[in-house]
Amino acid sequence: MWDFGRLSIVAELIRDHIYLESIDEYCEKTGVRKKDFVPIEAQDFGGEIFAVDGSNAAVCNWSVANLNLIRAGFAVYRGREWQRTTITYDDVFLADPRICEDLFDPCLKAFFGLKGIDLKESDLDRLSTYFRELQEYIALNEAIIEARSGDIILYDGGFDVFEPLRSVLAVIFKRAEDKDVDLLAVSKSSTLFWGEGLTLPFLQHTSYAGSLFVPGVPWYLDLKDKRVEHGQGRWNGETYIARFAGSSERAFRVDAPSYVRDRIGSALGKLVAHSCSSECLGYPHALFRAHEDVRISGQECDLLRLRLMEMLGDMGMSEPHVRMLMQDFHDVLDMRQQI
Amino acid sequence: MVQEADLSAFRSKLGSEVEKALHDKKVIRKEDTTYRIISKSVTEYQFIVPFDLPDEQRVEVGQIFSIKDHDEARGRRLTFLARVLDIQHGSNYEGNWDTTMKGTQFFDHEQIFNRVFAGPLGCVNCDGSFRKSRTIPTKFSTVSRAERSEFKFLKQVMGDIEIGYLRNGSRLVEEIPVALHSDTIDHHMGVFATTGMGKSNFMKVFAASCMRLAVRGESKFGLLIVDPHGEYLNGKGSIKGLMHLKRYRDGLACYSTDRKNSQDPGVEELAISESEVRPEDIALLYEWSPPQRDALDAISRIFDGGNWLEEIQSPDGLARMMQEGFKDSTVNVLVRRIKNILEKNKYIQRRSSLANILASLQSGKVVLVDIPRMSDRSELFLLSVISRYIMEEYKKDEHEGRKNCLITIEEAQRVLGAGSNTSRFETIAREGRKFGVGLCAITQQPKLIDKQLLSQFNTLVVMGLGDRNDRIQLEESAKQDLSTLDIEIQTLEKGEAIVSTLKIPFPVPARIHRFEDYLRRLEKEDADDALISRGGFRPFLE
Ligand SMILES: Nc1ncnc2c1ncn2[C@@H]1O[C@H](COP(=O)(O)OP(=O)(O)OP(=O)(O)O)[C@@H](O)[C@H]1O
Ligand SMILES: [Mg+2]
Repeated sequence: MWDFGRLSIVAELIRDHIYLESIDEYCEKTGVRKKDFVPIEAQDFGGEIFAVDGSNAAVCNWSVANLNLIRAGFAVYRGREWQRTTITYDDVFLADPRICEDLFDPCLKAFFGLKGIDLKESDLDRLSTYFRELQEYIALNEAIIEARSGDIILYDGGFDVFEPLRSVLAVIFKRAEDKDVDLLAVSKSSTLFWGEGLTLPFLQHTSYAGSLFVPGVPWYLDLKDKRVEHGQGRWNGETYIARFAGSSERAFRVDAPSYVRDRIGSALGKLVAHSCSSECLGYPHALFRAHEDVRISGQECDLLRLRLMEMLGDMGMSEPHVRMLMQDFHDVLDMRQQI
Repeated sequence: MVQEADLSAFRSKLGSEVEKALHDKKVIRKEDTTYRIISKSVTEYQFIVPFDLPDEQRVEVGQIFSIKDHDEARGRRLTFLARVLDIQHGSNYEGNWDTTMKGTQFFDHEQIFNRVFAGPLGCVNCDGSFRKSRTIPTKFSTVSRAERSEFKFLKQVMGDIEIGYLRNGSRLVEEIPVALHSDTIDHHMGVFATTGMGKSNFMKVFAASCMRLAVRGESKFGLLIVDPHGEYLNGKGSIKGLMHLKRYRDGLACYSTDRKNSQDPGVEELAISESEVRPEDIALLYEWSPPQRDALDAISRIFDGGNWLEEIQSPDGLARMMQEGFKDSTVNVLVRRIKNILEKNKYIQRRSSLANILASLQSGKVVLVDIPRMSDRSELFLLSVISRYIMEEYKKDEHEGRKNCLITIEEAQRVLGAGSNTSRFETIAREGRKFGVGLCAITQQPKLIDKQLLSQFNTLVVMGLGDRNDRIQLEESAKQDLSTLDIEIQTLEKGEAIVSTLKIPFPVPARIHRFEDYLRRLEKEDADDALISRGGFRPFLE
């Protein structure tokens, strides 16, 4: 057996740096002050909230191409009443650089009036991620079309995106502004860090600071001019940290295009009024529902894999042959029954 | 590696597929989330309904739903019919959040629902024929309350002896009369209900339908009812009797031990001749000590069959019994009891009605033997004499046009119980069918009826049964699966029944006609009009 030497070093590290005893250093290093935490007042809201989400699950992985199931869509709420869920894409995606443009280009052209984007250098995993994001943007676009002036459109994720798709977001921002809707991206996970030596989790520490400075109320914090890397300048908007319910411990990263900046308090106020459900306290409920409705279950992937096997069988391929092609050797090692 | 040419063919195919699907979208709305099949097997369907429906839309146990598994493009056209067996609370959260009321309230009310468990009745295919279902509706097929037009398929499976209307939950479907099949009736039949739930009413309705068939020349069996309570002949107060069905009066033959009743010209005074009484009938009337039993058993050996009642009472008879080694005290008890019987049962005479009774039965009529105020044992005694006679006659060669016969036994647990000493009825139960004689056992306590016998009953009319053991006994011996209906059987109200019979492919929920209403309707019906195909008349005053 090994001893726990290295484990205890990690434990020490966590205690000394990640677990904050005082927030002085955090404040000093990041420039965050007590007055930066702006309490949010819940606001009545008669319009609709659209929440866009996507989901991506691997059906099978070959070394030369991956087959994924991708789904994107949005849930629509008026107040606390779910209105509908629209699924805009629900199909497989074959990640192969040679056919990528056949899948991306028609969408880019039809929905955003853009010419193709260059994906030749991307690896296979990236390809399906891009495609999923593209489908989420198409869902966003559809939501903007269906929305009326004053409505809120939420996106599950962030707007600080990979280069190839930034041009798509720019079109979306413009359309959202023209339609006069509040477009906000809410991230469940965030890659914000502070500190020079060790990278420390900014979101969690900000959340902690918030509960000390403005306990028991929802609040938001504007990251403009704060010393934390959040992709500022790479896209046309601002990043905020927000807590949507006073009694919740969690805070979220919120990205908003720059045209929302001067009404961000009221936009977040409307969200606060709809982040108090029993199903998911402290998180905008529409996003919770979108996540539930769009999520791809393991069962669905299994079914699809079986169906594919069947089709191959119908086309005259023998099962051992298919198995040889489709089975991932990890699954063999782990003794998982994959196909 | 894929060749360049193949790749471009593949790409152009893919391209057109992508182009085609570009603007596809699927919208899910509130109305799509409920009233759909979500599970589960050939024997049980599950679907969900909103958990907060207004009263008039509430789902009830026993209600019939139709599942339309229609997709022309894929060649699916089946409609399944199923009835509700149970309803349970459910949610997509599987209880994860139901009890931790954080937050202010649930937003997604359609994620919380009632899960309805339904038992299949059968399916209707495109040519409109109804049959038992050997398959399962496609997942997410839409479910709706069965409409009148869908019930009409059930008409196809009904028989000729009308007893009530189809019941859909607690609602009636008047278009669909529930009717038993005459040709299954020689197989035994059972009527089960706790007291006051409507057994006697059912028997009168059943008898009325039989009288009607007899008059129309369509009867396939004669029905014998021995009535110790005096309720079938003329009824009591506002409760009517079979005599009130004037229109089909010719389908009924009445015998009575009651002086007043038999003054009616349509009622014959009941008579049984001494020669038709056997020692084993006498045995039914008293508790006997072992020596007394031995003496009884010896009688048929010692005396002439036709005249033993008289002979044993004579001094000569006593002497012959003593010669056979029986004590005089034993024989004296026997003789005293026999005298007592003859004294009490004035209908034991020289004359006999049995031949007439038999003739009526064999011509397919309803025979009512009215024996009001008769004691329990005396009734059994009489029933024993009559049914032995019938059985013996039916065992003889069948003559042209002879109809089968169904013998009704009230409180049947007395004679068909496990370990009862009345083997006569068990004999009929076990071998009567061969000769065209069936039993109609009426009882409040099916749990006391011999299980093996019960399993020979092909028609069960199950009305409200509160006792769990009664229900279990029936469920375990029924030919059709009644166990899934347990909840419904528990909640049956007066006059409501589940009818399980061979020719109908599922246990039918029925509301038995109230006899008085049925009478009025029978009196009114058009002579040529087949009752079964009529609808729209409302015999029930709600
Ligand atoms: N189908 C029916 N519709 C309306 N009323 C009914 C129905 N069946 C029975 N009843 C009423 O219920 C009462 C009891 O019925 P019934 O005498 O038939 O019950 P039972 O089961 O024979 O009772 P018991 O065990 O005392 O013999 C009667 O007043 C009768 O009119
Ligand atoms: Mg009764």
